[in-house]
Amino acid sequence: MTEQLSDKSVYVQDLTRGIVRENPVFKLLLGLCPVLGVTAFFINGVGMGIAATAVLVASNVVISSLKKFIPPQVRIPCFIVVIATFVTVIDMVLEAFQPALHEALGIFVPLIVVNCVILGRAEAFAGKQPVIRSLIDGIGVGIGFTLALGILAFVREVAGHGTLMGPDPESAVYLFGPGFEPMGLFAQPPGAFIALGLLLGIFNVIFKKLNIK
Amino acid sequence: MHNIIRLSSVLVLVAMLSAALLTGLHNLTEPVIREREEREYIEALEKFFPDLDNFESETVDGESFDLVYDQEGELLGIMATVSTQGYDGTIRYNLAVDDEGIIKGIIVTSHSETPGIGDVITTSDFQEQFIGKGYDDQIQDGEDVDAVSGATESTAAMIGSIRRTVVNIGEHFLGKEVASSDIPSVEDGVYHGSAEGTRGTLTVEVEISEGRLERIEVIEQNETDAYFVESYPLIPEKIVEEQSLNVDTQTGATLSAERIIFAVENALKSTPVEEGSGGDGTVE
Repeated sequence: MTEQLSDKSVYVQDLTRGIVRENPVFKLLLGLCPVLGVTAFFINGVGMGIAATAVLVASNVVISSLKKFIPPQVRIPCFIVVIATFVTVIDMVLEAFQPALHEALGIFVPLIVVNCVILGRAEAFAGKQPVIRSLIDGIGVGIGFTLALGILAFVREVAGHGTLMGPDPESAVYLFGPGFEPMGLFAQPPGAFIALGLLLGIFNVIFKKLNIK
Repeated sequence: MHNIIRLSSVLVLVAMLSAALLTGLHNLTEPVIREREEREYIEALEKFFPDLDNFESETVDGESFDLVYDQEGELLGIMATVSTQGYDGTIRYNLAVDDEGIIKGIIVTSHSETPGIGDVITTSDFQEQFIGKGYDDQIQDGEDVDAVSGATESTAAMIGSIRRTVVNIGEHFLGKEVASSDIPSVEDGVYHGSAEGTRGTLTVEVEISEGRLERIEVIEQNETDAYFVESYPLIPEKIVEEQSLNVDTQTGATLSAERIIFAVENALKSTPVEEGSGGDGTVE
């Protein structure tokens, strides 16, 4: 009975650790290339987050289940092949069934291969832990990554375009009316750095207040 | 030794599994992607040509043109699939013209221009200024259409490419005469022509001798040096070489290049500042 309980609490910990305490973007500052690159629109940011999460979960599970079979000397190339395989799968599936998102994410989908969040979890967690825990860890870190991308993309879209749910004009909501001139800087790459810096500062204050280390 | 064999066989096995999975998935998604691209293209065709019955493809200078016919076999118009060099990478677009060569619409199918700046080429505000323009219009920046300031490289590249495509279509499919740039019909002599440059007036001197464009010289300009120096010798050379104003302007200073062409065109339409020796005989 007590063992079951502690099992559960381990799983809960695995799940929540990636969301807050070790949030890949706001706490660890990992995988920032897509974070800065695709967050001009909320939909693209969340789409990127979900794509990366799918790769992360799949590669975590596969790497964890292959960990006995893969000799430690060649683990990194094996990890990379597994990750690259899933990235290519996602790339093909997106191009076939979500062409608009695929177009918007562009080069950042293939670049998930070298996203250090994913290789980091493979090396630090999935390569050592059992399959179920690796699965939950992948989901947790994926949620944390997606949340961070979503928050940053939301801020940048509102400030840089004055819209919600763009860039598709059919779904876009113009928050400030047609005459509004948005701060174009936030839609540009330098604006991504500025917005991320501001958010990091805000989250540091919040984390400190809540005593989350 | 044993270890090396074990390590390599693991790597080979992982790679083979990965390749097998990807090959299988590629075979599944490839037809879906093809079909969608074809469907989107057909939809675009039907949008511009509602009476579309069938079309046939022709290739001219590496660009593909679809000649669209209705049920009676009458030509409705032409859809061109064009690539051009933008500010950052290749811009691909479809250009639809009617049977008179008048532009019906533009669809940018892929580009990698700067988001928020160069991607203005995909907006209807930019594209609509071309609609209704045709072979006889001045599809030149500052004339019947305007580049967008702040995105001059991207928009000037589009303007130049669209003009060349319209001229190509006119000459290859619609039996249009080579009109304004018909160099052999220009009398011998030296001509001056100007165009509004990016920073003030740009003037060229053009010499025609025995129906050939012999020499082009820029005699007055105020362009941005760093860019202009590159494009300045290139474009006149190309025009002289090809004996045509319909030259490619992808130089890194697209806008200045466009203006040089326009100035030469103006020169050829003007009266000569100096008559050539082989004139029509009525000159003193």
